[in-house]
Amino acid sequence: MRPAAQAQKVMRLTKPTLFTNIPVTCEDRDLPGDLFNQLMKDDPSTVNGAETLMLGEMLTLPQNFGNIFLGETFSSYISVHNDSNQIVKDILVKADLQTSSQRLNLSASNATVAELKSDCCIDDVIHHEVKEIGTHILVCAVSYTTQSGEKMYFRKFFKFQVLKPLDVKTKFYNAETDEVFLEAQIQNITTSPMFMEKVSLEPSMMYNVVELNTVKQAGEGMSTFGSRTYLQPMDTRQYLYCLKPKQEFAEKAGIIKGVTVIGKLDIVWKTNLGERGRLQTSQLQRMAPGYGDVRLSLEAIPDTVNLEEPFHITCKITNCSSERTMDLVLEMCNTNSIHWCGVSGRQLGKLNPSSSLYLALTLLSSVQGLQSVSGLRLTDTFLKRTYEYDDIAQVCVVSSTIQVES
Amino acid sequence: MSGEKMEHVDGSDQNIKEESLTGEVKGRNVIQHVAQEEQGQLLFHEETIDLGGDEFESEENETVSEDSNNFIDKLNEHMMESVIISDSPNNSEDDVGELGCLQDIVEPTEDKSDHNLEQMLDKEEMVTLSNDSETDHDDTPKDISDMTSDSRASLKEELTQEETKDEPMFGNEGTIDSALSDDKTNPEEQMSEISSSQSSKDDAVPVCTIFSQSNQANSQPQLFLHDGFEPQMVKSPSFSSASETSAKTPPQVVQPSPSLSKFFGDTVNTNSLASDFFDSFTTSTFISVSNPNAGTSVPEKLSSLSTPVGESSPDSADPSYSMGIERSESGVSTASLEASQSPKPFSQIQAVFASSDDPFATALNMSEIDRRNDAWLPSEDTRNVLISVATQQYSAVFIDKENLTMPGLKFDNIQGDAVKDLMLRFLGEQAASKRQVLNANSVEQSFVGLKQLINSKNWRAAVDLCGRLLTAHGQGYGKSGLPTSHTTDSLQLWFVRLALLVKLSLFQNAEVEFEPFGNLDQPDLYYEYYPHVYPGRRGSMVPFSMRILHAELQQYLGNPQESLDRLHSMKTICSKILRNLEQGLAEDGSMSNITQENRNASVQLWRSRLGRVMYSMANCLLMMKDYVLAVDAYHSVIKYYPEQEPQLLSGIGRIFLQIGDIKMAEKYFQDVERVSQKLDGLQNKIMVLMNRAFLHLGQNNFAEAHKFFTEILRIEPTNAVANNNAAVCLLYLGKLKDSLRQLEGMVQQDPKHYLHESVLFNLTTMYELESSRSMQKKQSLLEAVAVKEGDSFNTQCLKLG
Repeated sequence: MRPAAQAQKVMRLTKPTLFTNIPVTCEDRDLPGDLFNQLMKDDPSTVNGAETLMLGEMLTLPQNFGNIFLGETFSSYISVHNDSNQIVKDILVKADLQTSSQRLNLSASNATVAELKSDCCIDDVIHHEVKEIGTHILVCAVSYTTQSGEKMYFRKFFKFQVLKPLDVKTKFYNAETDEVFLEAQIQNITTSPMFMEKVSLEPSMMYNVVELNTVKQAGEGMSTFGSRTYLQPMDTRQYLYCLKPKQEFAEKAGIIKGVTVIGKLDIVWKTNLGERGRLQTSQLQRMAPGYGDVRLSLEAIPDTVNLEEPFHITCKITNCSSERTMDLVLEMCNTNSIHWCGVSGRQLGKLNPSSSLYLALTLLSSVQGLQSVSGLRLTDTFLKRTYEYDDIAQVCVVSSTIQVES
Repeated sequence: MSGEKMEHVDGSDQNIKEESLTGEVKGRNVIQHVAQEEQGQLLFHEETIDLGGDEFESEENETVSEDSNNFIDKLNEHMMESVIISDSPNNSEDDVGELGCLQDIVEPTEDKSDHNLEQMLDKEEMVTLSNDSETDHDDTPKDISDMTSDSRASLKEELTQEETKDEPMFGNEGTIDSALSDDKTNPEEQMSEISSSQSSKDDAVPVCTIFSQSNQANSQPQLFLHDGFEPQMVKSPSFSSASETSAKTPPQVVQPSPSLSKFFGDTVNTNSLASDFFDSFTTSTFISVSNPNAGTSVPEKLSSLSTPVGESSPDSADPSYSMGIERSESGVSTASLEASQSPKPFSQIQAVFASSDDPFATALNMSEIDRRNDAWLPSEDTRNVLISVATQQYSAVFIDKENLTMPGLKFDNIQGDAVKDLMLRFLGEQAASKRQVLNANSVEQSFVGLKQLINSKNWRAAVDLCGRLLTAHGQGYGKSGLPTSHTTDSLQLWFVRLALLVKLSLFQNAEVEFEPFGNLDQPDLYYEYYPHVYPGRRGSMVPFSMRILHAELQQYLGNPQESLDRLHSMKTICSKILRNLEQGLAEDGSMSNITQENRNASVQLWRSRLGRVMYSMANCLLMMKDYVLAVDAYHSVIKYYPEQEPQLLSGIGRIFLQIGDIKMAEKYFQDVERVSQKLDGLQNKIMVLMNRAFLHLGQNNFAEAHKFFTEILRIEPTNAVANNNAAVCLLYLGKLKDSLRQLEGMVQQDPKHYLHESVLFNLTTMYELESSRSMQKKQSLLEAVAVKEGDSFNTQCLKLG
């Protein structure tokens, strides 16, 4: 068989790298005099005026295929060169990417080139944002007609694996106040440092999100990660987010129940010379804390109170059951330190499903120090079931001679 | 794209439902599990980290419902849940973890031509999916499954296989042939061809591997998920690091190793070529007399051994020895004395002082400068030995052998000329015979010849010549471990030899020859050890640059931590010396009257040395990829070399660019512009433009970057970096031919400057991309190299091998 008249070559275009020198210097009194320094000065790859600086300015093309990770952009140079000494006609170059699920056409244009002279080439740079893990095959097909009218066709296959760049783990904390705290650990499982350009939580429709990854310092938001803006290979970073249910959902306690969708993390990173990657997690889900049928939460409580002086708290009692209207009786049991003021065993009246009532209570503490508010009992008169609420909150009790700040 | 996205939304909703279903199943499992354990484990509660007050309620609770639910929360809090990274955002809605689902949705839109393969895929997918639902309710294993060690291994195989053929390309001729032989335009049959051609080429049929492996991985319990994951990652650097790290680590095999480019490439080389015959004629006889036998004859060895104590030459006012004198003492023919003295190597080194007429003033001046330059602080033990020597408590002979430095050549093979070897291989004997470079035989056997070799970039020959001169000194091949004496010159020769080995990236060789020197602190490396040879002279014979080299070498051998340790102890001594000087003492802390002028000179010298140490530290940290510390270190270098501030700030900017932190890079580049505003000059203007170009590069804007590199060329048409970088940008813009034209143009116009290995590497890479006839073009590059370059040229950048 005669050699292919057309050569087709493919080269993956990762970002170029900067050339590094090995600086070897000497002093004037040393044997080589200024020879070593002069040699370095004359080396075009050193930095003019700072030859000892290792990191030069010379760009070098990628050495090999390297790794490609999910969310990055696969770029490749496709060159078809006419190696023969004849003009060929009707050249069609087609680049497809076959993944495990689909086949994509990556060529910028699918137009046929009318003719290709000897020693000329057709160039194409293709880009594709990689969206699947696993084996990918780049299929490059070339068809053309020789001068003698013979139709020729050949293809080449380039196989590569797409790897996972990040490992993401999450953890939820449910706060008393319906807030949800999300801890997300993001680990760089590539082999190169990764600059985290953006890690944000896109909340689902039920929540608003506050990112807790900066600290206000002198009016400026300082990252909690300090000056280290990048992740070394295998490094893990922990991000914290606070999600608050939107007003309309917070009202209806029954809605946020069971498994709920919290949102998803959107991660943008950059590596060598700004090579960019972007990923989103799947929808993060959490198990909303169940509060049984009746939920008691605190709306207001002072943090510091005087010893043996009454103070007020506000409780919110919610009927979390789906269809049952409840008849509740409130009992208040004193503990060693906490003494409730008012009548125990009073009727709270009817409470409709998914509705709540607010209850102002008065109590005092007879012991100094951090005291836990306990001893509330709610009894559902219909089911004869008692719900106990201990350790609802804590207050700091101080001697009354100390002025309590309002 | 957005239209496509909209289409997928419907499907995605379904997926979410499925997902949440599995989630519930999982949740229920957990509930059951918890309910069982709940009663026994109440203590557990208190240990949990908690942000809300929930768990306090449940301490003594009788009510089941509430408590168990709380418990679930807590359980969830304890376990970090693995989350699936579904996809890049553009179609992320489609696949909530289950790749298989996505595939099902997308596939119907595929055209028929892919049917064969598609069917195969479908079948395989069905298997995996059913497996999924049976074995685990979490979908994470699916993720992992794609990355099992097997699949990675197969990738590795694939890559290496293809890379051995031709490096950056991943083309393989095998497939093209099989495809061509079929030579069909019938699409249906072509698809089947994929699998057949693949399988004939290598065993792993791409489509099957991925799924068979996912099956296998699915059977793994999900608890092992994370643990099983990490070892895989450990594997990967072996085949990926080359590309990822190339910018920061010293180049390995394929990458052209850094080298210095032409220095007097034209003039000196041709000059020396002209004088070659002449020289080689005279020197060859010269060598036969002096060199090869000099170190080997027994009486000589003895005499050279006894030299330091006994036979000092009383008439030499010059406290240091030239090689010539040394050799004359050891009984070599007078011809060698004349030959090596005639160029007066040592007096050249110290030409400044030699010019003075008054011998007394010269001696005084010398001692002043010697003290300043040679000062070093020995360790406690070494100092004690030196004090003993000075007080004549015992003669040097009795010092423990372990404390002596006994270097010798560790290899004596001739270094050769790789360019010529390549020429022999590719261009034939006739062409190779035209290659004329200086070698150790063709120059004067002295420092002058040595410098000539270094200057003409024949570093391999220079290494050979250093070896010969050291052999003459009695420290030749096989002499390691035998007692010897040291002189200023012998240590300088060692420094040059070792420095050249490092320059040639022959780090292992440098390491073995450095080894006998220990930590460069042995007593016989101090002048005080030889009171008769160097009366009154103090300090270390080891050049400061050799200490730097000694410290830096370790980082090239993969022990950057050791490098840092050595640099830190150097830093300590430099700082101590500076402190001594500030306190009005001499460098070594002794009481001494130093004039203000000399003190200032000394402070200046030691500050610059301290700066040099900091520079090496910064470079080392950069190699270690500890970018935060490296940036700090470069900042502190600015204090010592304020004149390099713009360059160093630019360098820091490039570090950030390399990490991917474009914003910080921009900030530093702005600082450079601010700093260099004051000092306007061509160089600063170029630097600013260069930085702007790099910033555009970081923003993926090759067109704009190319504009700025071209702008630099308008100011300075010969700027090699801008030329090369502009050409690289052109390639990324899809203009291979233009890019080639630019690189070829610069190499042809000014080979003296542009035959740099980074340029040649780019050029050969583009040749390979351009056509199947890259070999011829590479060979013509080799011819160009052969004319201009010395034996130190790194031939790997030509990629001929």
